[in-house]
Amino acid sequence: MKLQRMRVEQLRQFRKPFVLDNLQPGLNLIHGPNESGKSTLVRAIRAAFFERYRSTAVDDLRPWGDSAAAPTIELSFEHQDKPWRLTKSFLQRKRCDLTIGTDSYSEDDAEEKLAELMGYQYPKRGVSKAEHWGIPGLLWVEQGTGQDLEQSVEHAGDHLKSALNSLVGEVASSGGDGVIEAVRAQRDILLTGTGKPRGDYLQLDKDRIQHEQDIAELNDRITKYQEQVDRLGKLSQDFERAEAERPWEDAQRQLEQTREHYQQVAQLEQQQSQEKATLAQLQQNHRLLQQNRDHLENLSNQLVARKAELDKAEQALSLAEQQTPALIKGLGDAKAAYESAEKHLKLARLLETRGRLEQDVQRLEQRKQTLTQNLTKAREYQQQVDHARTQVRENRIDADQVKQLKKTEHQLAEETIRSRTIATRLSWQLEPGASLTLNQQLLQGQGEQQLLEESSLTVPGVGTLAITPGGDELASTRRRLTGLQQTFDEQSKALGVDSVEQAENRLAAFDSAHRALTHAEELLKTVAPDSTDQLVSEHKEVESELQTATHQLQAMARPDQTSPVPAMAEAEAAFTSASQVLDKAEVSERRHQAELLTLKQARDSARAEWQRLADEEQNPERQQQLKQLSADLADIERQTAQLQTSLEQRERDIRDARPDLLRQDIERYQNTINNLRQSQEARGRELRDIKVRLEAWGAEGLEEQLNEQQAELEQCSRRYQELHRRAQALGLLLTLLTEKRQALTRRLQAPLQKHLNHYLSVLFPQATLEVDEHLRPGTFIRGTELGQMAELSFGAREQMGLISRLAYADLLLEAGRPTLVILDDTLVHSDQERLEDMKRILFDAASRHQILLFTCHPEKWQDLGVPPVDIQALKEGAAGAART
Amino acid sequence: MPRFLHTADWQMGRSYSRFDSEDGAALVEARFQAIEKLAQLANEHQCDAVLVAGDVFDAQTVSDRTLRRVFNATQGFAGPWVMLPGNHDAALAESVWTRAVRLGAVPDNVHLALEPVVINLQPQGLAILCAPLTQRHTYGDLTEAFSGYDSTQGLVRIGLAHGSVQGLLSDDIDATNPIAPERAEASRLDYLALGDWHGTKQINPRTWYSGTPEPERFRNNEAGNALIVTVTEPGAVPEVTQIATGRYQWHQWRETLAVESDLDQLLQRLQALPEPSVVDLRLEGSITLAGEERLLSALSVAEARFRSIRCERSGLQLEPTDDDIAALKADGYVGEVIDALRQPQQGDHSQTARDALAILAGLLKDQGQEASQ
Repeated sequence: MKLQRMRVEQLRQFRKPFVLDNLQPGLNLIHGPNESGKSTLVRAIRAAFFERYRSTAVDDLRPWGDSAAAPTIELSFEHQDKPWRLTKSFLQRKRCDLTIGTDSYSEDDAEEKLAELMGYQYPKRGVSKAEHWGIPGLLWVEQGTGQDLEQSVEHAGDHLKSALNSLVGEVASSGGDGVIEAVRAQRDILLTGTGKPRGDYLQLDKDRIQHEQDIAELNDRITKYQEQVDRLGKLSQDFERAEAERPWEDAQRQLEQTREHYQQVAQLEQQQSQEKATLAQLQQNHRLLQQNRDHLENLSNQLVARKAELDKAEQALSLAEQQTPALIKGLGDAKAAYESAEKHLKLARLLETRGRLEQDVQRLEQRKQTLTQNLTKAREYQQQVDHARTQVRENRIDADQVKQLKKTEHQLAEETIRSRTIATRLSWQLEPGASLTLNQQLLQGQGEQQLLEESSLTVPGVGTLAITPGGDELASTRRRLTGLQQTFDEQSKALGVDSVEQAENRLAAFDSAHRALTHAEELLKTVAPDSTDQLVSEHKEVESELQTATHQLQAMARPDQTSPVPAMAEAEAAFTSASQVLDKAEVSERRHQAELLTLKQARDSARAEWQRLADEEQNPERQQQLKQLSADLADIERQTAQLQTSLEQRERDIRDARPDLLRQDIERYQNTINNLRQSQEARGRELRDIKVRLEAWGAEGLEEQLNEQQAELEQCSRRYQELHRRAQALGLLLTLLTEKRQALTRRLQAPLQKHLNHYLSVLFPQATLEVDEHLRPGTFIRGTELGQMAELSFGAREQMGLISRLAYADLLLEAGRPTLVILDDTLVHSDQERLEDMKRILFDAASRHQILLFTCHPEKWQDLGVPPVDIQALKEGAAGAART
Repeated sequence: MPRFLHTADWQMGRSYSRFDSEDGAALVEARFQAIEKLAQLANEHQCDAVLVAGDVFDAQTVSDRTLRRVFNATQGFAGPWVMLPGNHDAALAESVWTRAVRLGAVPDNVHLALEPVVINLQPQGLAILCAPLTQRHTYGDLTEAFSGYDSTQGLVRIGLAHGSVQGLLSDDIDATNPIAPERAEASRLDYLALGDWHGTKQINPRTWYSGTPEPERFRNNEAGNALIVTVTEPGAVPEVTQIATGRYQWHQWRETLAVESDLDQLLQRLQALPEPSVVDLRLEGSITLAGEERLLSALSVAEARFRSIRCERSGLQLEPTDDDIAALKADGYVGEVIDALRQPQQGDHSQTARDALAILAGLLKDQGQEASQ
């Protein structure tokens, strides 16, 4: 399809006719500034095709304020080597005329032809909207919508597919999608999205289960009912048989017989026990009588025994009496021996005491002597001590001071010596008789003096010589000497001595006296350790003790020293032995006396017993009694024998009757009767219960209910099976339809993909853009980028949109469909580099399709290689032409 | 000249699971009407008594309503009715009979033969020797006791029993409740009225199964009759007249469709059936889409005509002809789907595929019709 000429009149700003002529088969760049009518031309082309000529909703075509206008569009184009000419007027003059070659169409026919050619629909009423635009909606891009591809593709969908069908030689089902929808709708009634039953189908399944449960319950109840009926039959039989036979009455009869029998036995047992009591009495009596007889018969024997006992007692007594004298003699001896031993012991004790006293006196005397000596010595030593003390007192001197004195003397001597060495020695040898006076001291003879001081030597007659000793030290030496001399003098004085020797002598005397004192005190201590006074009192005590002892000794009788006296220990041992012997003798004697008494008593009582028995034996009543007793005994024995026979007989009878078993029988029969009666009563009760129960259950018509339930279940199942089959069939159908449709779509995608790749390789080498099942560009892959087209930038989307549209155009062209691409100010968001690529693409596409590119930026498109058409210039030219 | 009506196997209280509830109810109702019809027949033929040879009730526990209605339905005939318990309504300790008595539903002229006794209908000249079932199943011949029963001189001796005559009936009859085939002769019976076999059947001149008065299943032959029996005097050979009582005819057809004319034939036969019919069709073989359309249309008509019609077609292969397919005008992938569905399938799949094809054909046809409008 190639648009060749376009004419508009009374259309918006084109009040006057405007002609766009000489349109090229390839690229046409049509430009003009804003408001120049560029968009109006685009709108005019759209209106010419999309709007019904009789539409009242196209007021926007009317020039502003011109209500009488009839907007008119004339289009001339060529398609399949035929010239097409379309004239469409709106509003005031509604017309549509189409000539194709030599054929003419008008009004609706014309419009239908156009729609069929281009592949779009008309709106039922009102203005044409995007959803009606079909393929032109895809190829004719309005300003600012180049990026919005999806909607356009969707609206072009069926037209695209039918175009593609012819291309790939396939038939997309004409009503296929409708069928799928119908199948899906029907399936959705039965199944959920995930294939689970829903609605009636689900309910039927539930009902079925419910019915099955109900039936199972009913069956249970019917089984129970039948069991109860059977039980009832059996019970009724048993009950009636029991009522007829009355087995408990037989048992009753047996019970009574047994009771009678048992009573007889009980009587026998009573008799038996009475007779046993009688027998016991007889036996008791027999025993007593026998005892009596035995007693009587025993008397003589006892008498002999008593006599023997008496003799024996007497013999024992005489034997004991014979022993008496010996025992008495033994006792006397023992007493004598005891007394002798006692005497000896006394004597021995006296001697012992005396000896001890004598020893005491001796010892005390010795002591007294010693004390006296000590006393004498103590006095002597005391004197020594006193003397020594006096000495000490008299010579008391301080040893340190003496030492000090000695030291001072020594220093003095040394100093004197030194002074002598430095002193001016004055020797003199005078003529006898001559004298000199040195310092008022008369010197004679020979002598020497050392002068330490200024001295004056007066030589009589001569005068006086003044001698002044020289040397520096002299004065100090002299002062020291004087000092020392003073010290010495003071110390001597303090000590009270004249010289050191004297002091030392005194010190020696003091020490000696001190030692003498110590010694004397030591000596005194040896004789009077405590004190002399104590010694004196001790002495007195001893003296008094001695005196006492002496008195005692004198008072004590002097023992007879004639007989030999045993030693003390010996005497004591003898005495102890003697007293023991005596004790023993006395005990024996006492025991003997007691024995004698006992024996005498025994003999007396034996004699008395014997006497009594002897008297009794002689009694005549006793003989009589004996005879009577024997008779009685015989009688009792006879009776006993009789009784025992009778008892044995009866015992056998009782044993044979087995009363224990009889008792058990009675119990058994009673239980039997009770059981029989009770079970019959229980039967009766159960019968009544079952009857009541069955009546109730029977009234429910269980089996009829079951019948009905089963019928319902069967219907339910039938219906369920039908729906189940239908659901499966619909499922299968839907699956198949969907699969086949998808397979078809995949086949359709291939050619589109091919064309898309062709453009894409120019714009984004190494990128891919996949076509989805709705023939829309979907996933975009560039390197590692992966995404949907919608996620790209606006500019990129616009570019992609454009190449997609061009790809559709290629596809349509191949299918022999008309392709006209109209781009209204497109690619305004592309950068320079992309724009260059897009220009190459457009140029390429223009070799196959006619492209009308409207723009208000002609400078951007200078290098498209086509001459631009300036609307403004055309308008002015037209106006000019009109004017001319 | 005693005359009586011999019937059996009423099976009251049975419901019909295979039918829709409406049809089932009508069939149940027909059984009550059958009793009324029997009463009417007894009057028309001046019968002295009506003998029911067992299975009056289908179960022991039927609803009180059913129970009362059964006895109410007998009211048309005022003469004596003798009802014998059969295996479905055996005279157990507690049974449908004891309940009926307890409810006071049994009219005075209805004799319940609950025990093996002789019921003397002196005025009618009949002695009825009864062999009721008192257990659900017995394995001994209950009619054996008939030989020991002495009946009043001059009365016609009629045996009334329920069970299967040994050696005569097919094996699918329960082997329980046996009856000796020569019972009538052996026990000096003038006539032995039997129940249990639902079709009318003569065992010998003196022994008959009356069959059920209203058919209730497809299997029976000769169901839906009653017998009018006339015995002129004791020892005379009975005169037995079979009278149709059934309202509905039950038909069960098993057909295999192979060629087009088979379907034509089937539809003609269907057309020929009287309206009160109960039809059960099971079709096998194959059918074209066009044929199926005809069949469905005919079934739709039949549904309205007959009491009930059911058609089991799961064995019937839908095999559309190429013309059929062309008529659907299925193009593109829908055409492919049809091809896929026409491929031979296995097992359940073939069923599903057939169903799917039918659904698709329906949809396409609807679409075609819409398009053409």
